[in-house]
Amino acid sequence: MSVHAIQRDAFINEITEAALQDRDVYFISADMGAVALDAYREKLPDQFVFSGISEQNTIDVAAGLAASGKRVYTYAMASFITARCYEPLRYMVGMMSLPITVLGVGVGLGYEDAGPAHNTTEDIAFMRTLHGIEILSPADVESSVEIARLTYRDPGFRYIRLERPKLPEVYGGRFAEALPRGMCTLAEGDETCIVASGFMLHRALEVARELKRDGLRIGVIDLFRSTPIDGSVLLAELSPYRNVVTLEEQALAAGMGSAVVEVLADEGEHKNVLRLGLPGRYLFENGGRDYILSQCGLGVAQIADRVRAFAATESA
Amino acid sequence: MGSSYADLEQKAAWIRHQVFEMYVAAKRGHLVSSLSLTEILVTLYYGGFYRYERGNPSPDRRDRLVVSKGHGATTLYPILADIGFIEASEFDRYAQADGILRMHADPSIPGIDSVGGSLGQGLGLAAGFALAAKRDGIDRRAFAILGDAELYEGSIWETAIFAAHNELDNLVAVVDRNRLAILGETETLLRLEPLEEKFRSFGWAAVTVDGHSFEALHGAFEETLSRPARVPTVVIADTIKGRGISFMENDHEWHTRFPNADQIERARTELSAYTLRAEG
Repeated sequence: MSVHAIQRDAFINEITEAALQDRDVYFISADMGAVALDAYREKLPDQFVFSGISEQNTIDVAAGLAASGKRVYTYAMASFITARCYEPLRYMVGMMSLPITVLGVGVGLGYEDAGPAHNTTEDIAFMRTLHGIEILSPADVESSVEIARLTYRDPGFRYIRLERPKLPEVYGGRFAEALPRGMCTLAEGDETCIVASGFMLHRALEVARELKRDGLRIGVIDLFRSTPIDGSVLLAELSPYRNVVTLEEQALAAGMGSAVVEVLADEGEHKNVLRLGLPGRYLFENGGRDYILSQCGLGVAQIADRVRAFAATESA
Repeated sequence: MGSSYADLEQKAAWIRHQVFEMYVAAKRGHLVSSLSLTEILVTLYYGGFYRYERGNPSPDRRDRLVVSKGHGATTLYPILADIGFIEASEFDRYAQADGILRMHADPSIPGIDSVGGSLGQGLGLAAGFALAAKRDGIDRRAFAILGDAELYEGSIWETAIFAAHNELDNLVAVVDRNRLAILGETETLLRLEPLEEKFRSFGWAAVTVDGHSFEALHGAFEETLSRPARVPTVVIADTIKGRGISFMENDHEWHTRFPNADQIERARTELSAYTLRAEG
């Protein structure tokens, strides 16, 4: 897989390879496209289903196919296949324990200026309440490919949060090893670390680089599996740090940062925690992803300032 | 086929009796909704339309049936016992902590293909079953039992478009058209008619029959399943909610009301008479 690919094409190419060998692999698109999907449709018309902009029907049909022994991938814009389908996912997939992979494209503010209906900024909060689900947020192509392989190798109820833009590669061949743990330390620090995933992981790495120039060593942990979080693994990864910053492109209510705090509380572990994320309102601003994030205090320099202040206060 | 209609009448009477006794003993369930679809399920299971192997609930050996109006699935329990999928002793444990039978059925019960309790999603599930069978070249039918008031759910019509385009002629929807929602009559509250035309305009074959007449139901399924029409079919079965217990028939309030001791005795007497009529 070319590192120049974007996540969705990398993922679909991987599934195409599997589908060419296995006629039980099915791809259902609710009118969502991709370059790689065009190739899949051409090669495997009998393993492709077009369901149109009917997200509920998409999930219900997927359930019928999965209950018939198919390995089903549903593909749609992240904001709609999640919020619109919370009930079909809960009822048809969760309660029936069906192994369906739900691919959501364009998480966070990935649709830039399209407005709050397209923003997928509360999905971790409500999707992680679905029993039995695994939520995975790849930050690069390598992790997308490894996650695709996992979904085929070990089918389960999963929600894969795919980023829309091309993002830099961060793993350098290490992701397969990290995958079972659900998280991976990408930069080591002294007292403070940032826990992030997906698009915001790259921002966390930038912040760490910026603070390094000030002589502050900040750890960065990719929490690519926000659900479920293995408590013992999280404690091990966080053990070098007294201060934990969670950074997400999500409204703070019940999001990834909340999930981290829940695990710390349940494990009886005391850390100083700063949760950074989006405000609890619908974001109508124009100006693109970077601009909107900066309006929400999540520009790189702004995050660096907040982390610096947090580290200083908590270390004083 | 095997069964004459007199046999089917007896089955229906026995099923109504069992459903009623489970409901009374547990003080839980949706009696009137279960009574209205009795003849529909009896025709499917004993008329040779839903195909299965007695005593073997393995999914590989049978068609699929989704009671999308999940509150009516209680009617299936006596049938599942009669065909050897579950033990009849489970009737006494219906909705009890140690029993496998629930108010809404789910796949933990042998022979049940879907979870029940939320409306509007069973048709899509059945369409998925039908599509998988067609693409695999397997001769398998998928039935979806829908309530008429369930047709207000938009997801039903999403699937209606999908099933017609995919030529799912192994998909049969049966609408239990008892014309009652919880708050009253569908046509007064929020009009569903013209229902046949709605389905036809979506590309389905549609037929309306007397949902308590074995002859009519038999004829409808026979025609539907013998004709290679490359379209899904809906059988709109005109039914009476509460059928078999006169004072419950066509009264929407019985969806949520539980009978008192006198009413229970009256209902028992009527259901026994029903059984005797069927036997006579």
